[in-house]
Formats: sequence, structure tokens, C-alpha cells
Amino acid sequence: MTALKWAVPALLVAGCVGYLILTATGGSAEYYLTVSQLRSHAGGERVRVAGVVQDDVRKSDGGLHVSFTEKDATASVPVEYSGAVPDIFKPGITVVAEGTLGGDGVFHATTLLAKCPSRFSTTPYTQ
Amino acid sequence: MILGYLGAGALLAALVMGAFAALLSLWAGAQENAVMAQVGRRSFFAAAAMIALAGVMLEVALLTHDFSIAYVAEHTDLSTPTALLVAGFYGGQEGSLLYWALVLAVLGSVSLAASAALGLRLAAYATGVMAAILSFFLTVLVMVASPFDLLVLTPPDGLGLNPVLRDGGMLIHPPVVLAGFASFAVPFAFATAALLAGRGDGAWMAHTRRFALIAWSLQTAGLVLGMWWAYHVLGWGGYWGWDPVENVALMPWLATTAYLHSAQVQEKRGRLRAWNFGLAILAFLLVVFGTFIVRSGVVPSVHTFAISAIGPWFLAFLFICIVFSIVVLALRAHTLGGPSKPVEPISREGAFALQNLLLIGVVAIVMWGTILPLVSGMLGQERVVGASYYERATGPLFLLILALMAAGPLLPWRQARPAALRSLAWPGGVAVVALTLLLGAGVRSAAPLIALPLAGGAATTCLMQYARIGSSIRRRSWSGVPAVLRRRRRRYGAYLAHLGLVVLVAGVAASHFWQQERDVTLAPKQSATVAGYTVTYTGAEQRQLADHSELVGSLRFGAEVLQPSLATYASLGGQALTRVAITTSPVADLYVVLAGVNADGSASFRIFVNPLVSWIWAGGTIIILGVVLGNLGERSAVVVPATRRVAELVHS
Repeated sequence: MTALKWAVPALLVAGCVGYLILTATGGSAEYYLTVSQLRSHAGGERVRVAGVVQDDVRKSDGGLHVSFTEKDATASVPVEYSGAVPDIFKPGITVVAEGTLGGDGVFHATTLLAKCPSRFSTTPYTQ
Repeated sequence: MILGYLGAGALLAALVMGAFAALLSLWAGAQENAVMAQVGRRSFFAAAAMIALAGVMLEVALLTHDFSIAYVAEHTDLSTPTALLVAGFYGGQEGSLLYWALVLAVLGSVSLAASAALGLRLAAYATGVMAAILSFFLTVLVMVASPFDLLVLTPPDGLGLNPVLRDGGMLIHPPVVLAGFASFAVPFAFATAALLAGRGDGAWMAHTRRFALIAWSLQTAGLVLGMWWAYHVLGWGGYWGWDPVENVALMPWLATTAYLHSAQVQEKRGRLRAWNFGLAILAFLLVVFGTFIVRSGVVPSVHTFAISAIGPWFLAFLFICIVFSIVVLALRAHTLGGPSKPVEPISREGAFALQNLLLIGVVAIVMWGTILPLVSGMLGQERVVGASYYERATGPLFLLILALMAAGPLLPWRQARPAALRSLAWPGGVAVVALTLLLGAGVRSAAPLIALPLAGGAATTCLMQYARIGSSIRRRSWSGVPAVLRRRRRRYGAYLAHLGLVVLVAGVAASHFWQQERDVTLAPKQSATVAGYTVTYTGAEQRQLADHSELVGSLRFGAEVLQPSLATYASLGGQALTRVAITTSPVADLYVVLAGVNADGSASFRIFVNPLVSWIWAGGTIIILGVVLGNLGERSAVVVPATRRVAELVHS
């Protein structure tokens, strides 16, 4: 009987949590893709794609706009981004671009995340 | 060189003592052998002493620039300031593991020293469990991630520190977070020991109350300090990004918060015994899970931690902890039934129980968002969720918890009679007034219209508790107030912590709903206005400093000069570092980031106006103050009489 009294509110909360998770996931989950998989997700769908910044970085508008090529093991894609560029952004680092692939084949990023160093050291010694 | 050998030797000795303590104590508990239990406890102290010795060796090596040790060479250089040399201890993977073990060894020793009063079996099993956890960390430290590994050739200088991490916040944030994580092993060890010993009573809980509070305070401080650091250093205008690394620190905090509240139901009413065991165990499992996620790099995060050999070790440890916890809980579940009368829904314990369910609901949502890339990656295409998922899913639950903060403390224990519900009119009234004011001010979106009135109601409820002191002693004199505050400090400290949380929530809500942001490009003497804040660009200059150069853009804001800058570290491959300029007032922060300077002399800035952000830092401080003031000199309820009883027996 005690167990039953507990089960009702617990199930109620669990149900609400389940509903919230389902609706929120459906609304905002994005695919995390490789550059070659990007081709099949053109046309307005928000996705994330990680890759290494190539040497063709061009900044304009006082550094608030940046265009570059992002490359991973599979392919490469041109990226356009407007906004504050992460500090450690430079050719050779890995970034995660979040946005949409336009019909012109250019990835329009709305967020640009750089993999940030969480260690005190810069590069480990190679012996 | 010699420091490296000594440190490695100390760690090996600690591992031997720790493993010995674990095996001997578990055996002594099963056999109820008092002498061996004592020996086991002393072996734990010996292991703790060895870990402390290793810690001293590492610190000395860092301070004396002993670059023969790889850890020292990889994390510091000759120009590193002394404060950062000291911080290097916990700055890297290996050192932070040693720091974890050290905190556990020290707090574990303190908790075990006074544990004899809990009874032989419980105390011995607690020693055994704690020593086993310690031995795991020592195994990793000795076998895969030793901070004392030596380099073949001693380099003349070290590699130094990443400039992003050369910040005051970095000195205190990691050790506080790590200590908060490590300290929750104490309640876990005593909870599982009580289950093993078949002790379903609350003795373990009373004994570890302080450690749970220490763990919770450290976790709270760690989260707030992390937000402070992100806000002041990272330059994206916010303080919380729902990154996996933040999530795994939030989850144990939520579980510990639930535990601190449900523990009161057991203390006052003898209920929720099984639930409390479960929560103490869950909080520690979440700590281990978080450590595994952070150290193994299995989910995509903006923080790239050194992906090293220790990931699988932590996965194995997590697995063992989960299996062990399930087995001991299942073994004793039948003995943990509470009084048969069910909890009345409209009562203090009913409010606590609902708050607990909601907090665990938030944990479930955050957990799902964190592991979704893993789960979906196994099933097919990897998917990720962003901040909007967490906001949409946890928002309603957080609002309900806020409503419970307003109503719960006014409900009496056992059962609320209609008369007792009348006091709810106060927070209700304040909430209605706040809602009217917000509507009058032109606010139309639903979330702030619900959140801020509820926060107002919750604040009213806390203030009512203080007002009641006045009314209860009015007939005597006001000089009685300090005495009442002191005698019932636990109660008033707790409400101060609640008040701090309300202040923090107001800051989070205001800065989240009403943040304003604009990108501007300004020629010299040109002005821009964001949310009523006008700044005038006065010019840029290039400065050359010892190890880096700085491009500084100056802006006039009233009588103040704001100088956001871009630093470039040539020695570190030209790495850039944005320095944000922030001017704070109780109403809002003006937060300016320099994006760059153009050829024509104009400069581009990103300007944020963040309302009430300073309330977040103030609220965090008030929370910690409430917990500390509420528990200074507070003695554990159960252990003291038991000690006295033993002492009386000995002396009679």
C-alpha cells in the first residue's frame, strides 16, 4: 500500500520528464556529421560538423566576419561565419561549426566552437 | 630526480597500505574482529600520510623547477609565477588525480577517526569501502598516470601554461570542484557500509552530515566559480553553455541537493530511509560518471581533455561501483521499509518528496542530453542537443521547484490543516504583486512572467521565517534575537541559503531573458548605444609586453574608460587571447569584446548588456554563507551521545 502511494506521484513525475525529454529532443536535436555526410543534409536543416581549419582563413569587417575551409578525414567544405571568433581560432585547430548548408555548397555557421584547452600545458613533450 | 623517485615510492607505499586496509577492514567487519578493524583503520591513516608525502614531493618539484619530472616540464616553465606553480599541482591530469586522492585521504581519515561510536561492523566496512576507492585512484596513479614519470633528458626549461588558464579563477575553480567531487565519497562509503552491516538506522547519515554539507558547499562554490571564470575569460557574454563538462558537474550537485533535503525527512520523521541510501549512492555514482566522461572524451565537448589511458580504468571503476551499489541495496532492501502510514501529500515531507522527484527528473533530462551522442552514435547517426533542449526540458521542472521553495517551508510536518495553509497567502500575494508589476512594465513572454513572481514568493517565504523570530519573542525583548538565531542556526542558515538561491535565480532569469547584444564598427569619436548604455570609441593602440603583445581598443563610457583587448602570444605559436572589458553595476553589466581593428582606423566591437549578472555571484556567496553560518559548531545529532555512552562504559 505504501509502495502504491509512492508509485503514483513518482510515475506522474516520470511521465512528465519523459514527455519533456521527448518534445525537447525532437525540437532541437541536431545531427553531428562528417563533412562528406553533410551533402545529404543540404537545405535548411541545422547540423553540426567538426573539422580542421585550413590555411585560407579570410577575416573581414574588423574580425567579425570570417570565411575558411573546414576539412576532415572525408572531405572539405567552405564555411562562412559572422560573429565573435573564438580566441584560439587559427589554421590547424579543430572547430565545431553549427549551422546550415546552403544551396551554393557553402556552410553558413551561426555558432563556431573551438576545442578549448583544458590542460595547463600547451603540447605534451614528445620524447 | 630524487624527488621523482621519492614521490613514486610514496605512491607505491600508499597503494600497498590502501589495498591492505581495504581487504583487512572488510574481513574484520565480517568477523567482528575489533583489533583487526583498528589495524585496518590505521593502515588507511598510513596510506593517507604517504599520499600527503607524495603531494609535498610534487609541490616541491614544481616550486624548484625540477624539469627532470615530465609533469613539471609539461605544465610549468621558469617564468611561471609562483601562484601558478602551486596551482600546477592540480592543473594537469596526473596531478589532479593525486589531488583527488589527497582530499579523499584527508576527509576519509577525519571521518574514520571518530567512527568507532558507530559500531564495529559499520566502522570497519566504511574503512574498507573508502580504502577500496582510494586504492583505485592509487592504482591509476602508480600504473597509468604517474605524476612522477621522469624524462630521459632534463630540458633546460618547461613548456609553460596556456594563457587561457593563466587567470585567478583558474587558481581556485578546479581544486574546489575536485574537492567537492572527492568529498562525496565519504557519505557513499558510510551508506554502503551501513547497508553491508545491516544497519538501516540513520547513524551513518548523522555521522556524515557534515561531509555531505562540505561536499555540497564545495560543489556549489565550484559551479559558481566556473560560471564566473567562463563569464570573465571566455568572452561570449554568457556563463553557462550546457557543455557536457558543465552537465556532469551539475548532476551530482542536483542529487546532493535532493539528498540534503530528504535526509531531513528521515531525521525528523524517520521516513524515506531506502530513498536516502539510494540518493547518497547515486550522487557518488554521478561523480564517478562525470569523471569518466570528462577524462575519456567519449562525448563531443568544447573542452578537449587529454584523452589518455585512464578512460577505460574509470569505465571499469564506474561499472564496479554500480554493480556493488545495486548488490548491497538489493541485499538489504527488505529491511528498509518505513512506517506503514503513507506520507500526506500536503505536508512538509510531501513537499520534500516532490522536490526530490523533480530534482531527479532534472538529473534524468541532463543525463539524456549528455549521453545522447553516445547512444545515437551506437544506433546509427550521431546526434547532439544544444542549449535549447536543456532550457525547454528542465525549465518547467525548475519552475515547479521554485514554487515548492515558496510553499514547502510554510507547510507543517505530518499533515497541513486548512489553518496552516493561510500563511501561503503571503508568498502568493507577493507573487501576484510581482506579476502585476511585470505586466505593467510591458513584459509579455511567459517564462519570465512565471519565474520572477515565483522567485518573489520564495523570497517572501524565507523572510517570513526571520519575521517569525521577532513575533515569537516580542513579549520578552529584542536582546533575545541573537540567542534564538544561534540556537536554531541550522534552520536560519538554511533559509539564508534559500534566499541566496532566489537571488541567484533572479540573476540567471534576468540575464537570460533580457540580455542585449550588438555588433558595432566604430570610427574614432563615434558612439554606439546598446540598451541605453552609450560608449564612444577613442582609439586603439598596440602594446608590447614581456611575453605577449596587446591590441587595446579604448571606449569612453561616462567617466570610465573601457579597454577590451586582444593579446597575442608569439612564443605559443601566435595564440590569441581576448580580454573582455566589463563594468558592473547592481542593475546590469556592460560587457565589451574587441573583435578587431580595421585598416581605416575603425574598430569592431561586440557589446552585451547583461542584466543582474552580479546577482548570480552575490547569490552564490549568500548560499555558502548560509551553509557555513548554519553549521558552525553544530554537532552531529547521533554520534555525540553514542561517544558519551562508550566513554561512560569505559569509565564505570
